[in-house]
Formats: sequence, C-alpha cells, structure tokens
Amino acid sequence: MAEEAVVKNLEEAKPKPSSRRSSRRTTARKPKKDQTLQGLVLLALVIAFGIYLATISAIIGFFWLTGIAFGFILRRTNFCFTASMRDPIMSGSTSLTRAVLIALAITSIGFIAVQYGASLKGLPIPGMGFVVPISFATVAGAFLFGIGMVLAGGCASGTLMRIGEGFGMQMLSIVFFIIGSFWAARDMGWWTLNFISNGPRIHLPEVFGWTGAIAVQLVFIAVLYILADKWENRNQEN
Amino acid sequence: MAEYELDCLGEACPIPLVKTENRMKELAVGDTLIVIIDHSCALKNVPEWARKNNHTVEVEETGDSEWEIFIDKSA
Amino acid sequence: MKLSSNKHYQAWFKNPWTYVTGAILLSIFQIATIAVADGAWGVTGPFAVWGAWVYQAFGGNVDNWYFFSTEGGRAALNRTFLTDPASVRNLGVVVGALLATLLASQFKFKKIKNLRQVAAAVIGGLLMGYGSRIAFGCNIGALYSGISNLSVSGWVFALFMFAGAFVGSRLLVRYFMQ
Repeated sequence: MAEEAVVKNLEEAKPKPSSRRSSRRTTARKPKKDQTLQGLVLLALVIAFGIYLATISAIIGFFWLTGIAFGFILRRTNFCFTASMRDPIMSGSTSLTRAVLIALAITSIGFIAVQYGASLKGLPIPGMGFVVPISFATVAGAFLFGIGMVLAGGCASGTLMRIGEGFGMQMLSIVFFIIGSFWAARDMGWWTLNFISNGPRIHLPEVFGWTGAIAVQLVFIAVLYILADKWENRNQEN
Repeated sequence: MAEYELDCLGEACPIPLVKTENRMKELAVGDTLIVIIDHSCALKNVPEWARKNNHTVEVEETGDSEWEIFIDKSA
Repeated sequence: MKLSSNKHYQAWFKNPWTYVTGAILLSIFQIATIAVADGAWGVTGPFAVWGAWVYQAFGGNVDNWYFFSTEGGRAALNRTFLTDPASVRNLGVVVGALLATLLASQFKFKKIKNLRQVAAAVIGGLLMGYGSRIAFGCNIGALYSGISNLSVSGWVFALFMFAGAFVGSRLLVRYFMQ
C-alpha cells in the first residue's frame, strides 16, 4: 500500500507535458526549418530593390514600398476579403467582415480628409478615378467576381498573398485571372457602349456635402457592423 | 475519449473548416479530433470556430506551414 | 537560430496579429497612397495590360481595342513592368507576403492536390478576371478603394460581390468538395 502511495505521489509530482500528445504522425515528422535567415536576406533585397526603383522614379519606389507593406500586413493578419463575405455564409463567423468594415471606416475618414483638403485648395480631387459609373456592368462584374473568388480560394489581394506563401493553386488561378481580365478588356467596347456609358457616377459629397457624406457613410458602416455582430452571436445561441 | 484524424493537407480554404464542422458532428463528447492543415487561413478560422462552439482547442506547429489542431469535443 | 526563439521576435513576426490591427494598418497605407500618389490601392488594373504585353509578344495586336485606345490604356501599354507603378505594387504585395512568411518560418510550397482544385482555380480565376475588368476593379479597387473614396459604386459592388460569394459557396460545397 505504501509503495502504491509513493508511486502515485511520484506520478503527480512529475511535470505534466506542456504540449498535447500528438498523433502517430509525430514519428514521421519533418524537422522544422528555421527560415529567418532567408527572410532577412529577402528583406535586404527588398530594401536594395526599393532604392534601385526609387532611382527610376520616386513614385515607383513608393508603390514598391506600399506593395510590400500591404502584402506583409495581409499575411501577418491573415486578412482575407473572400472570407469576410464567405464565412458569414459558411460558418456564421463575421470577425473578418467586421474588420473589413473597420478598415472601410478608417480609410473613408482619411480619404475624405484628403479629398476635402484638395477641394479647399482648389486642386483636383484625388481618388476620383475610383468613382466609376454604376451600371449593369458593375452588378454583373461584382457577381462574377464574388463567385470566382470563393471557388478560387482567394480574391485579388488574397491571391497575391497566397502566391507569396507558396500556394500552387493561386499561382494557377492568377494566370487565368489575367486571361479573364484580358478577355474582358476585349469586350470593354461592348460593355461601355451598352451599359457603362449610361451609368451615373455618384460621389457622396456631391449629394450630401462633405460632412453629410462622411456622416452617412459612417452611419451605414456602423449599422452593418451591428448587424454583423448580431449575426455572429445569433449563431452562437443555437 | 477516442482520437480521430482529419487530414486536410493541401486543401484550399474554407474546406478544412467545413470538413472539421462536419466531422465534429459525428464525434461523441470527450472525443478528440486532430485536424492536420497547411493553410494559414485554416490556422485562424478552425480554432476560432471551435472556441466559439465551446470546444477545447490546442494548436501545435508540426513543420514549416504545417499544423495540428487538437479539438476536444466538449459540448 | 536564437533570433527566432526570442519572445519579442515571435510577437512581431511569428504569432498572427489581430484582424483589427490589419484593418488599421491597411488603412494607414491606403491613406498614404491617396495622399502621395493621388490614387488609391488597386490590384487588377494592370492585369489586362500584362495580358496585352504577352499577346503582343506573340505577335498579337490590340490597337483596335476600345480598352487600349484611351489615353490611359495607351500609356499603360507603352510602359514596362518596372516602370508601371501598379505592376510594381502588385509584385510588392507578393514579395511582402513572402517576406512575412519566411520571417515566420512558414514557407512551404503547396502543390495543387487534385483536378478539382485545378478546375476551381481556372474557373475562379477567369470569373474574377472578367468580373473585375468590367466592374472597374476587385475587392480592393472597386470595393475597398471605391467605398473609401465615397463612391456609391463601391457599395453596389460590395452587395453583388456578396451575392456572388453566396452562390460561389453553394457551388463550392456541391461540386468542389469530396
């Protein structure tokens, strides 16, 4: 009896393993390679390339910098616009949806400030190239894009991000992404003639004024945020 | 207290999550599902789903871009 | 290497950041873009131009196309990859993601698993390419930048992209899963 008590105490005294017992696959596991060195080498190349590009033109250097930043941020946060729209449907999760809404809110505030500043100085308003005509082309294009991004496992930014991560599937899908874009460019005359040229461009400040525009936009985003939040928790109660 | 493996290596998102959800339905409370993934989006959305449904989750990195997600069915 | 086991290194370069952090950081660089470059972030803009470059390299001609007859279209055609800002930015996104992946020691080439994935990539890619071209952009250029520039087109795009995602999800489960 004493022996058993000793054994039992010894067992309890043993430090418990900090990680879970793994599956049978553990024995055949590949050793984890540390890739930090390669990362640092790449970082040096990124900087060197950026300096080189800046000698071609400062703007090109800037675009390289923002591209690197966007790619890095997307990857570090696993930010996926596809998931922001697909997850509410497939798993009831709206965490990405709400993050996208937050991004829209913050960026809108920054953008309207820049636009307003330009308009005050009488300068051409930046970003107006993104205020495009609304027509059936918008509707059809967005719809096709939505289907495509879920099938392909990534939207435009997501595809670029996953290529950088090493996914063969996205390396394939971008080839067809480019082909599809080129094909549509060929049809653009038809789309422009029949739909796009009749579509209105609606810039919110033109309708509501500068303060009104940002107010309307933020209220709308807030409403969507609340709905997304409710959706997330609604599924939890089931 | 049975342990089951779900191999999702090479699957594009959201397939690991969908397969996990379906497989978890078949398990009894107390069973463990080990989901094997190599997709960083599943690394986030599978544990998130599991925690939201009150299961115990542990993640172990088993290689470069490979993980095992241990989900104990708790409810 | 000792660096990668360092607690601070792990927090910055290995453990994932939150989605909200992503939202804030992306916004900062978007705002920087509009402040410096008079435009916003877009991804799919140069894709048709890349297609044209390849097409022309094989002897094709796009001079009669409406799309390339505009001032902007012609200018883009005459540029090269490294002198086209949007192309450089796209390359930057890929490299930035690669950089983050390497620093976290998470790089692995993931082969395409089966024919279903090939079909999904091909069909999905074509749909995204065609759709983003006629809608003047993608989830970034049309949705993110469109909405942030206070254009109603962005919201219209968002609504129908969501509808498409709904249909896509059904198709995915029905035809592209075992």
